[in-house]
Amino acid sequence: MVGVAGECILCGKCLEVCPLLAATGREELGPRAKADLCHLLARDEAGLRGADVARLAGLCLGCDRCAAVCSQGVDVPGLVAGLRGAHPDFKGWLWKTWLSHAKTLWPVGSAMAGLVPDSLRPERFGPLLKMLAGLRDGPGLTPALAPFLTPTSFPDTHRGEPMLLFPGCTATHVRQRWLAAAHSLLHGLGVAILPGDFRCCGSGLKSAGFADEARAMALHNLAAWRGAGRPKVAVFCASCLSALRGYTHYIDDPAEAEVWRNSLILLSILAKDTVFVISGAVPDRIAYHRPCHADGAGSDHLLLVAALGDRLVESTDRQCCGFGGVMALGAPELADRVNARCWDQLAGAELVLTGCSACAARLDATAPAGVAVGHWLEVIGQMRR
Amino acid sequence: MVKEMSSWRGVELRSRRARCDGVIDTGQHRPYLSGMIGYAASLTAAHRAFLLDLFPGDGCVLSSEGLAAFSADASRERAMPWAVVRPERRDQLVELLRWAEAERMPVYPRARGTGRVGGAVPSLGGVVVSMLRMAGEPVVDADDFVAEVLPGVITADLQAACAAKGLFYPPDPASVRISTIGGNVATCAGGLRAVKYGVTRDWVLGVEAVLPGGRVLRTGGRSHKDVVGLDLTRLFVGSNGRLGLMTGITLKLIPLPETSASALVGFADLASSLAGAGAVFRAGVLPSACEFMDQGALEALRLGPEGTSMPLAPGARAALLFKLDGTGPGVAAEMDRLTAALAPLSSVSVEVGRGEAEEMVWNARRGISAAAFRLAPDKLAEDIAVPRGRVAEAVERAREIGRAHGLHVLCFGHLGDGNIHVNIMHDRSHPGESAIAHQAADEIFRLAVSLGGTISGEHGTGLTKASFADEQLGPEAVAIMRGVRRVFDPREIMNPGKGW
Ligand SMILES: Cc1cc2nc3c(=O)[nH]c(=O)nc-3n(C[C@H](O)[C@H](O)[C@H](O)COP(=O)(O)OP(=O)(O)OC[C@H]3O[C@@H](n4cnc5c(N)ncnc54)[C@H](O)[C@@H]3O)c2cc1C
Ligand code: SF4
Ligand code: SF4
Repeated sequence: MVGVAGECILCGKCLEVCPLLAATGREELGPRAKADLCHLLARDEAGLRGADVARLAGLCLGCDRCAAVCSQGVDVPGLVAGLRGAHPDFKGWLWKTWLSHAKTLWPVGSAMAGLVPDSLRPERFGPLLKMLAGLRDGPGLTPALAPFLTPTSFPDTHRGEPMLLFPGCTATHVRQRWLAAAHSLLHGLGVAILPGDFRCCGSGLKSAGFADEARAMALHNLAAWRGAGRPKVAVFCASCLSALRGYTHYIDDPAEAEVWRNSLILLSILAKDTVFVISGAVPDRIAYHRPCHADGAGSDHLLLVAALGDRLVESTDRQCCGFGGVMALGAPELADRVNARCWDQLAGAELVLTGCSACAARLDATAPAGVAVGHWLEVIGQMRR
Repeated sequence: MVKEMSSWRGVELRSRRARCDGVIDTGQHRPYLSGMIGYAASLTAAHRAFLLDLFPGDGCVLSSEGLAAFSADASRERAMPWAVVRPERRDQLVELLRWAEAERMPVYPRARGTGRVGGAVPSLGGVVVSMLRMAGEPVVDADDFVAEVLPGVITADLQAACAAKGLFYPPDPASVRISTIGGNVATCAGGLRAVKYGVTRDWVLGVEAVLPGGRVLRTGGRSHKDVVGLDLTRLFVGSNGRLGLMTGITLKLIPLPETSASALVGFADLASSLAGAGAVFRAGVLPSACEFMDQGALEALRLGPEGTSMPLAPGARAALLFKLDGTGPGVAAEMDRLTAALAPLSSVSVEVGRGEAEEMVWNARRGISAAAFRLAPDKLAEDIAVPRGRVAEAVERAREIGRAHGLHVLCFGHLGDGNIHVNIMHDRSHPGESAIAHQAADEIFRLAVSLGGTISGEHGTGLTKASFADEQLGPEAVAIMRGVRRVFDPREIMNPGKGW
């Protein structure tokens, strides 16, 4: 058996949401085909070879959209991760590809080159994947833009509340400015930020099939949370949040799992009633890219709508940035097709804001000339005194 | 027309799905396939070379794992194709069907594979033609009130393109967001709005199709009226990919209704709910949807969270769901008339939903299909249709059949057009229960036909019900259909193995 999942009834509901199927018109790349292939392989019914199935089903962006709509609880990206992990050649291939790419992509001496591991360093995996997606070194937004949303008043909802901040590895290693902006927002909100030694959320590793390493990271992060007295945890990356929610699998006590789930909160929800003014040079046409892992209501989007009004001219809903994690390493041309559809939808925008580190990386690397891309935190300035 | 029971008498009905789900099916065990000899027996090296040349790049799939993804559809019937091709242009199909006829190679059109009767399953082996790349922006003409659309376009995307111009393509199968317009036309898909707007058949003005041998046929066009010649367009609607490969479809459009409102009405029993529907229609109100849910369906819902949130009195043992659409004042006036028509009846609750609240009213109906699994882990989902006046009888007797076999049978669906979804819940891990469920389904089919109805109002007969179709239709009709088919497809290469 690979992965843990409900049984696929081939209803096709997930076909609606798969960005890879939409971009390629290849039904064998859709979630239903993947679930069915796993089923056939597990029951040894069609004389399929595990390696072949892993290669085909491994063409998956890991966007989790299919799992979110399946009424049978089938977790296709989970099944894919299981196949990747079970397939012995896969890890070797991955590291080889990774190292050869990474070493040539970044000049020695850049901040990124220092991240390239000589052996498996799980905590480095996340940012490396993002760099392979083309995230450029530096503080953020290129072409550079000064922050133009200045908070003028903060709600008191969370004043005095102790919280941890989950930074995620992109902010920790490559985009420290996100971290600074998050801190400044939390200060404004009056949150008492607790010290916490979080590592990478582990999502990249998990979907790449490194279940043990991902688990070790999850346990480390959970220990950090318990050590801090199980407070709320502010998160500002949609895919980190999704991975953190999945930690409930690693918590034995259902009551504690519930506390963990409820403790996770998006920064944009905390900042909900903050009042911003627009100042300085602001692009006229700003778009929002909705990450695949964004929550239903989309609090990042709501925050931007409230702050930017008419300047927010476009937003994606069904389109994926095409980040694709490890898939992008093996089949960059497929990831590119997904990415191109996303840009079709964003056409005309001068600035694209999003709320996920993977999306920010992928869109930044593929932006048309003159279009700036960043996490929404990058346009938040300091509170005016 | 009342169907003759005699076609059923004395016939030993073969149990459908005589094998487990998921087993690779070569079709040989199906008696009604015998006699279909003379087809290509496999793909030769020359065949492969031809296909690779005609469909370069990723346009031709030959690997086993790639092919497996095209072996089944939502019916969970399965058979392995020998090749899958992905045309992007009509001329590729012209070449393909010229070759396929010469080689007598079975060809299976396939779109999203959401069909529920195995229509897209390559039962005899051969070449599956995936139509998903024959897609693109539909042409929506607000002067002619038509849309010209490629077959691989998702129906909901077409509707969105129409709505952007204030136009409306009404057919709305529950699979509208996951199925294609080509598949909808090939199956004559129906939906909730059929009571007011009809089914796919009523909206197709013309088709373009590539026929075996490589001929290209164009029927109908943008004109909303056309009485010249036989109606070949309609012949394609519901043809299940058995006449040719549709490459273009022209559809009729109407103005987009400005607004809608819905009402969920609870009744003490099924009979009074049907009386309620009668009263509404007699009052001159034509809803755009009129759905019913029987006691079994409500029980399944009440076992889960929908049960507590659904705006329905706890005492309700049957429910009706009405949707009205049109202009703002029109809908308001009709809703008043609807509630007034229901007032003298003993309905136990009436909840009207407008604007955002309208969704709430529909949640229960949408949840039934999944909620049914709370009663048992496996289901046979049948979609019989009977004359509207016989719905009550059909539902009561279907439930009786369930009781007699010790199975939960729940009924819900499109009261407005007599199309009843019958879910036969069972547990196939219990020895013999799967066979019992199939027996109950056979009895329900007989029931439908005896009431002057049909074994399928929406999903068709495809592979799973091929033999039943022939029995319902009778030998005369089957012979004529076969003859018609041979005019289009003399060597019967299109989607073979599916009855008539
Ligand atoms: C969750 C769910 C809900 C559903 N709800 C409804 C419903 O409310 N009403 C309803 O009527 N059906 C319903 N269906 C059944 C199914 O969605 C319809 O039959 C739909 O029309 C099939 O479309 P498809 O694009 O998936 O076609 P497929 O399943 O791929 O093909 C269906 C048939 O059409 C043929 N075909 C496809 N494209 C072409 C073409 N271009 N030229 C010639 N032949 C072609 C195929 O050979 C096959 O015989 C539902 C199915 C599911 C899974
Ligand atoms: S994975 Fe889930 S949603 Fe997709 S076809 Fe299977 S059961 Fe349906
Ligand atoms: S995770 Fe995303 S890309 Fe992968 S099958 Fe599901 S929807 Fe498609």
